[in-house]
Amino acid sequence: MRLVLDIFTVLAVSAGAFFFLAGTVGLIRFPDALTRLHALTKVDNLGLGLVVLGLLPQANGLFGALKLVTIWLLVQLSGAIVTQLIAGTVRQHGPRE
Amino acid sequence: MNSPDERDGPEELSPDRPVALGSAIFRSIGFFGFWLVLTGADPSDLAAGLVAAFAATWASLRLMPTQPWDLRPIKLAGYVSHFLRQSITAGIDVAWLALDPRLRLRPGFVVYQAQLPPGTTREAFCAIMSLMPGTLPCGQAEGNGLTIHCLDVTQPVAEQLAVEEALCVQALRGVPRNG
Repeated sequence: MRLVLDIFTVLAVSAGAFFFLAGTVGLIRFPDALTRLHALTKVDNLGLGLVVLGLLPQANGLFGALKLVTIWLLVQLSGAIVTQLIAGTVRQHGPRE
Repeated sequence: MNSPDERDGPEELSPDRPVALGSAIFRSIGFFGFWLVLTGADPSDLAAGLVAAFAATWASLRLMPTQPWDLRPIKLAGYVSHFLRQSITAGIDVAWLALDPRLRLRPGFVVYQAQLPPGTTREAFCAIMSLMPGTLPCGQAEGNGLTIHCLDVTQPVAEQLAVEEALCVQALRGVPRNG
């Protein structure tokens, strides 16, 4: 059972790392600030979600697991809000060079 | 389909004491639970946690007054699972675009006429939209419109958003009454 959970952790965290990599590639390759925001919010949220999911079986009891999920929720919330603020500012004033 | 009867009663006009007290208790339990999670329920931190939960409840009632929420747990659970599937699709979709050697982006703005009036539910819908595939709200447009930045403007973005908005309203019904 332990082995199955460990394999699950390795697979999920690796998948999460892959999405973080893809998000960073998007950040570098996408042409402007707004398209880069898409890359950061969407791909990195999925990456973090997979890392958290993978770490849940290794968590230190119920509170440890809840703490991991809380981190993911807080990052989702702040990502969703900050992205809109940056996008609104870029649309009004244009990107800073 | 019927809304709870007290929302159509006179209580809606006067400050609704029982609802406010109930939501104060509910929120303080939530904040204290959050504190327990953050500190690992360390007994030496409990007193500070109680003070922090009380202060957070006071601030939240000031910043976000009580509203008559009418949540349906089953619908909400269904919506959460829909949202998780959509955010997985969004991540895969953008990762695919980023790693595609040809970089097939058609970015641009779309104005979407929202049905929701300005208020908490619309803010929530905007936050959800920013985690959905291909859309990123970036401010108001004329009328009741929202300016949406899209990675691919050839997609039927407005139609998809109308479907999403209807789902969101169904799950969070009872809130869009502040317009």
